[in-house]
Amino acid sequence: MPVTVEELVKFIDHTRLKPETKRAKILELCEEALTYEFAAVCINSVHVEYAAELLRDSDVEVCVVVGFPLGAMLTEAKAFEAREAVRKGATEVDMVINVGALGDENYDFVRQDIEAVVNAADGAIVKVILETGLLIDDQKRQACILSKEAGAQFVKTSTGFGPMGATPYDVRLMRETVGPKIGVKAAGGIRTFKDALRMIDAGANRLGTSSGVAIVEGYRWAGYSDAWLQPDKPCWTCPSRQASLAKQPKEVYLWYKARCVTCPHRDQNIFND
Amino acid sequence: MPDESEQLFSETRLLWISLTKKTTKIQPLDSTDIRQFLGGRGLGVKLVYDHVSPEISPASPQNLLVFAVGPLTATSAPTAGRFVVITKSPLTGTIFDSHAGGYFGPQLRRAGFAALVLEGRADSPVYLWINDGDVEFRSAKDIWGFEVSETTDALLSETDPKAQVACIGPAGENQANLAAIMTDKHRAAGRGGVGAVMGGKNLKAVVVKGTRGVAVADEEMLQATVTRTRRLIKKDSITNKSLPVYGTSVLVNLGNEYGILPTHNFQEGTFNDAEGVSGEKLLERFFVKRYHCFGCPIGCGRISQVQGREIGGPEYETLWALGPECGINDLEWISIANDRCNELGLDTISMGSTLGCAMELVEKGFLKAQLHFGETAGVLELIEGAAKGQGLGKELGEGSRLLATRYNAPELAMQVKGLELPAYDPRGVQGHALAYATSNRGGCHLRAYLIGPEILGSPVLVDRDRTEGKPELVVLFQNLSAAMDSLVLCRFTTFAFSVSDYADLASAATGLSITNKELLQIGDRIWNLERLFNLREGFTAKDDCLPPRFSKPLPEGGSRNRISHLAEMLPEYYNLRGWDENGNPTKTLLKQLNLA
Repeated sequence: MPVTVEELVKFIDHTRLKPETKRAKILELCEEALTYEFAAVCINSVHVEYAAELLRDSDVEVCVVVGFPLGAMLTEAKAFEAREAVRKGATEVDMVINVGALGDENYDFVRQDIEAVVNAADGAIVKVILETGLLIDDQKRQACILSKEAGAQFVKTSTGFGPMGATPYDVRLMRETVGPKIGVKAAGGIRTFKDALRMIDAGANRLGTSSGVAIVEGYRWAGYSDAWLQPDKPCWTCPSRQASLAKQPKEVYLWYKARCVTCPHRDQNIFND
Repeated sequence: MPDESEQLFSETRLLWISLTKKTTKIQPLDSTDIRQFLGGRGLGVKLVYDHVSPEISPASPQNLLVFAVGPLTATSAPTAGRFVVITKSPLTGTIFDSHAGGYFGPQLRRAGFAALVLEGRADSPVYLWINDGDVEFRSAKDIWGFEVSETTDALLSETDPKAQVACIGPAGENQANLAAIMTDKHRAAGRGGVGAVMGGKNLKAVVVKGTRGVAVADEEMLQATVTRTRRLIKKDSITNKSLPVYGTSVLVNLGNEYGILPTHNFQEGTFNDAEGVSGEKLLERFFVKRYHCFGCPIGCGRISQVQGREIGGPEYETLWALGPECGINDLEWISIANDRCNELGLDTISMGSTLGCAMELVEKGFLKAQLHFGETAGVLELIEGAAKGQGLGKELGEGSRLLATRYNAPELAMQVKGLELPAYDPRGVQGHALAYATSNRGGCHLRAYLIGPEILGSPVLVDRDRTEGKPELVVLFQNLSAAMDSLVLCRFTTFAFSVSDYADLASAATGLSITNKELLQIGDRIWNLERLFNLREGFTAKDDCLPPRFSKPLPEGGSRNRISHLAEMLPEYYNLRGWDENGNPTKTLLKQLNLA
C-alpha cells in the first residue's frame, strides 16, 4: 500500500461546511477527528469556539473557512473574519480567492486580498482556495503564483460548492507551479481511499473531505487485493469530463471541452462510465 | 465449568427432529465445528454435507432441512436477527442456503437452539411449536392450504402472540421448485425451493418462542465493536441514506442508467419505464413506513399500501422480476403480484424470471399461450397456478430451466445451475458475471456482491469492464460472505464494514481470537465444502457457466456492445481458489482447510 493508515489520517482535514450544520454535527466531527487522529477539522467560522474547546490539548488543528464559498466579498470582511476566527481558536484559515478579479487580470487586487488575510491570520496557516472549476490552466498557475507571493502557506483546489471538485490533474499542475515548499490541499469530491491516494500521488499533502471516516475505513480493504488500486480509465479523473455548461462560465466550459478534441484517450470516454 | 462449545456459542444446542418418528434429540454443539464453521450457513453446510449423500434426492424424506442461527444472533450486533435454511435444493440439486430477516432467528436462539435439523416426513401435515426448550408436534391439517398471512395469524392465535412463525404457503405444500419459507408474513428465505423441501416433509410451519437471555463470550468487546460498527453504518451513505429512504429498489434507476437492468428476459439492459417502477416512485405512490428486521439500524424494508391494503415490499429484485424482466411497467400491479407471491410462498425472483422466460418462449414461438411481454393479463393466474400446481402455472413452478428445456429452448432460461439470475445483467459487470458463474448455489447475486465496487463504488469504484483483478475480488467476497452468513449478518453491512469489523464481532461472540485472515479462511473452508458437496453430486467445471445469451452483445443502453468475458477469468479464479483446471479442490488445499 502506498501509505499506511496511520499516514493517511494525517493528510485529512475532516470537513463539515454545510449551512445546515448543527452543533451536534460539530461535536461528532471533532470526536471523529480525535478518534482517527486527523490533521484538522475544517468548519465554518461560526463554530470555531466550540470546536477549539473540543479539540483543546489535542494535535488536531482547527481550520476555519473565510470568505466562503464565493470569495467575492470585501477584502476587509475577509480579513476581519480571519482575524476573529484566529482570535477564537482557529489555527488554520482556508480563504477563497477573488475569482472575478483574477479573471479581470487585476493581480494586484488578488494579491492584496490574500495578503490582508495572511496578515490578519497572525501566523496561522493560510490556504488559498482557487476554485479550479471556474479557471483555465493559465489562471490556475497565476493564482498559485499570487498566493505564494502573498505569503500563503497552501493553495487549495476547490470549495466543494463550485462547479468541479479536485482532480489529480489540477493538483499536479498546482504542485508543479508552487514547488515543494508550499502545500497543496485537494478538496471537493474526495470520497474514497482511491480518490485520496490519487491526490496524494499527484502531489497533495492535505485532503479536504467530509468522507474522512469512509476513506480510512475503506482503506482497510486495500490490503486484500491489488485490484482496488488498478489504474482507472483516464477520463474518470479528467477535469474535462466534469465540465458542465450549467455550472461553469461558457468560455471556461468550452476551454475544458476543447481539450477532449485532441486527447489521446478520447475513445475511452464512454458516456455512462 | 462450562464445556468449550458452551463458551463459543453460548447456551445453544442442536435440535434434531425426526418428523417420521415425531421424536426430538438435543445435542451439544461440537466445538471443533464452531471453530471451523462458526454457525449459521457454515454449520448447516457441515451438517448437510455429512448426512445428505448423492443418493438422497432433494424431495426425499432423508434430505435434511436445517434452520440455523449464528453466534451473534439475538445480540446487540447490527442486523443480528436473521436465520438461514440449508438443504439440498430441488431447484438446483446443489447444496443451498437461503436467508431471511424478520424476527424468527432471535426467537430460535433465545429458545436455546443454534440449529433445528429436520429429517424424515410426517405422515400427515404438522407444525412444530417450540416454546423455549419444549418441542411439540401439532397437527396442521386444519391450516393445510392456508396462505401465509392466514397461517401466521392462525398459529399465533393457537400458540402465543409473541411467538414467531416460519411457514410455507400453498407453493411449498405442492412442492413447487420455486417455493419459499416465509416469516413475519412477507420476509422470505426465498431462493432455491427450500419451501418445497419443507412441504415434502409435511411440515407447514415452525413456531418458536424463546425467552432466554443470550450471552456472548466477551460482552465488553462486543459492546465496543457494536458501538463502532453502528457508527459506521450511520456514516455510510448507502446504509444511512439510500437504503433507508428508498429501500433496495433505489437500484432500479441506477441499474437502468448503467444498462444492466435486465429487460424482456435479459434481451435488453434498459427499460423505458424504469422511472415508473423505481424506488423513488414507490416512495411517492405507495410507501407507508419502513420495516426493520431485528436489530437492524438500516431499515431497508418497505410497508406499502396498495388498494387499501398494507403489504410488505416490494423489494428491488421483486420489482425487477415482476416488472422490467417481464416488460411490465405497472407499479401497482407489481406490488399486488409481489403480495400474491408472498401469500402463496413463492420466490419472487425465480417466479418473475420464469415468467419472463415463458414470455420469450411465446414470443419466439416455442410455446403457445396468451402471455406477452408488457401485459399483465393472466399473469396472476399463472402465479396462482405455479403455487397450486395447476395448468401452465405448474410448469412455471418448476423453474425456468425445466420449463425452457420442456419447450426445446433451454438457452432461453436465464439461470446458472438451475437458479434464476437476479436483477443485474452480467455483460455490464464482469466481476459480477464471474460471481454468478461460480456461485455454489447457482445464479445468485449475494455470494459475491460485486455490484458494490463495480457500480456503487463501495468501498471504491473499480472499472466494471475490466477482467483483471476480478477473480481476486470475487474470491475475497465469496469467502467473506460465507463467514458473514455463518455469523448470520445481513449482506448490506458490507457497505459500511470491512473484514476486521466482522472478525472483531466474531471474536467477541465466540471468545476466539479470530484474525481477519482466519475469518476469511473460515469462509474459504465453507466455500470449499460446498464445492465438494456439489462435485459429489456430479457438478463439474462445465456448470460454472452463464447462459449463451451473455456471449452476445447488449443491443443498446449504458452497457451496449458489451459481452461477458467469463472464459478470461475462470482459470485465474480456479488458480486463486487452489483448484485444478477442472475446478476440483486440490488435496493440499483440503488439508490446509482441514477438509481432507
